[in-house]
Amino acid sequence: MTLDARTVQYTHGSEPVFEGVSLSVSSGEVVGIIGPSGVGKSTLLRLLALFDAPTQGSITYENEDVWQLSEHKRLEYRRRIGMVFQEASLFDASVRHNVTYGLRIRQSWRKRLRDELSRIIGQPDETSEATRALETVGLGEKTTQDVSSLSGGERQRVAFARALAYEPEFLLLDEPTSDLDPRNTAVIEDAVLEAKERGIGVVIATHDMHQAERITDRVAVFLGTERIEVGDTDTIFSDPTDDRTQKFIEGELLY
Amino acid sequence: MPLELHTLVAGFPFEWNYIRSIIEVSLYVSLTAVVLSTLVSVPVALFVGFKEFRGKTLCTSIINTGMGFPSVVVGLLVLFTVSNDGPLGSWDLVFTPEAMIISQFVLAAPVITGVSLAAVSSVEQNVRDAAYAMGGTRFDVALVTIKEARYGIATAVLAGFGRAISEVGSVLIVGGNIAGSDGTSVTRTLTTAIQLEARQGRFETAMILGAILVVLVLFINAIVVRLGNGGGRYG
Repeated sequence: MTLDARTVQYTHGSEPVFEGVSLSVSSGEVVGIIGPSGVGKSTLLRLLALFDAPTQGSITYENEDVWQLSEHKRLEYRRRIGMVFQEASLFDASVRHNVTYGLRIRQSWRKRLRDELSRIIGQPDETSEATRALETVGLGEKTTQDVSSLSGGERQRVAFARALAYEPEFLLLDEPTSDLDPRNTAVIEDAVLEAKERGIGVVIATHDMHQAERITDRVAVFLGTERIEVGDTDTIFSDPTDDRTQKFIEGELLY
Repeated sequence: MPLELHTLVAGFPFEWNYIRSIIEVSLYVSLTAVVLSTLVSVPVALFVGFKEFRGKTLCTSIINTGMGFPSVVVGLLVLFTVSNDGPLGSWDLVFTPEAMIISQFVLAAPVITGVSLAAVSSVEQNVRDAAYAMGGTRFDVALVTIKEARYGIATAVLAGFGRAISEVGSVLIVGGNIAGSDGTSVTRTLTTAIQLEARQGRFETAMILGAILVVLVLFINAIVVRLGNGGGRYG
C-alpha cells in the first residue's frame, strides 16, 4: 500500500511554497523529510493528510488520485491516515476521551449518542485499542487523568497514542519531538519503530539529523522550494549525490 | 416587622393562580426565546468565526451593534411586524406570548451570537486541525469546537437569558401586560407585573415578585453552568 505526492506544487498567495515535489511512502517504512524551517515540510504533510488539495500535481492513495474522488470517498481515505502535530493539540478532557476520539467518530450516530449518554451517567468509554495505544507510549496508567495535569512530553505522547488508537495505515508526524526532552523523544521514537513493525507507513518531518538517521529508512531533503534529493537514509547521510545535502547535514548550509 | 407572604398576597385579586401563571408565562416566553436564539446563534457564531467571506467585518459589526439594541425599539419593530398591516399580520400575534417570544428572540440572539463568537474564536486552530486529522467531518470539527468553547457558550446562553427574562420595554409593547378576568396571566410576565404593582403602590407585592425573579434566574444559571460543564468534566 502506498501514499504518494506526485509532482505537487502548493501555492500560498502568489508565491509557491514548493513545486514539482514527489514523495511516496509504503506500508512498514519510515520516511523522513528533513530541511530547514520554512521549506514547506508541514505543508507537504498536510497535503499527504488530505487537508488541502495541491495547486498542481496529485496525491494518490493506492494509485487513486484522491482529489478526483467524491468527498465521501476521500473521507474514507482520510480516516486511514493519522497525524501528529508539533504541538500536542489535545482536547480539554481526560486522556481516555482524547485517545478514543478517533474511534468514536467512526461509529454510527446512534452508538455515539448512546456512548455520550453513558459517559454523562458515569460509564467511561474504554476500548482495547485505546488502552493498547496508551501502553505503546507508556501511559497505560494515566487514562483517567485530565490532560491539563500532564507534562508537555506526556501530552505529546497522548497525541501520538490518539493517532495510533484507530489503527491508521499511514502516520504523518510533523516534528513531533521538537519540544521534548531526550527521554520523551526516545519513547516517541520507539513508538514510531513499533508502528513500523505493525506495518504502518510513517512520514516524519524533522530537523533533527540524528533522529532522521536513527529511525528512518529513507530520507527526502528539502531546501528552498524543491526537494533536492531522496534516497536510503544510510546513503544520504554517508554519500549524498548533491553537495547542498552534504553541507546541510553538516550544518554548513543555512537558510 | 417580618414580611408575611400570606398576608401580602392575601390582598391580591387572584392570589396564587395569578403568581403561578405569571411565572409560567415568564419562563415560557424567555426559555423558548433563549432556546431558539441558541439554536440559531451558535451555528452563526461558528460560521462567522471560521469561514472567510466578503462582508465578514460588517456581519461582526451588526452582531455587536445588536447586543446593545434598545429593547423598546425592538418592541416597536416587532409590533409593526405582527400588526394587522405588517408582514406577519395574518398570523394574529398581537398581544400574544408568541409575539413576546419573537421580541425576546431578537434581543437575545445578538447577545448569544456575540459572546459565542468570542468563545469559539478562542478555540485554537490546531485543536480543530487535530479533530479533522483524525478523520472528523466538518460537523465533527464543529462539535469539538462547541465542546472546547462550552464555558464561553454557557456564559453566552446565560447572558441571553438574563437579557430576555429581565426585559420590560419590548414585552410591554408587544404583549400588552394582559391578565384575564379569571386571574390568569395571558401576557403578563414577572417584570411587567412588578412594573404594574410598583406603579399602583403595592411595593411589597412588587418585591415578592422581584425575589421570585431573582430565584428563577439563579436556578436557571445553576442549570446552565452545570450543562456548560458537560455534566461535569467530560471524561
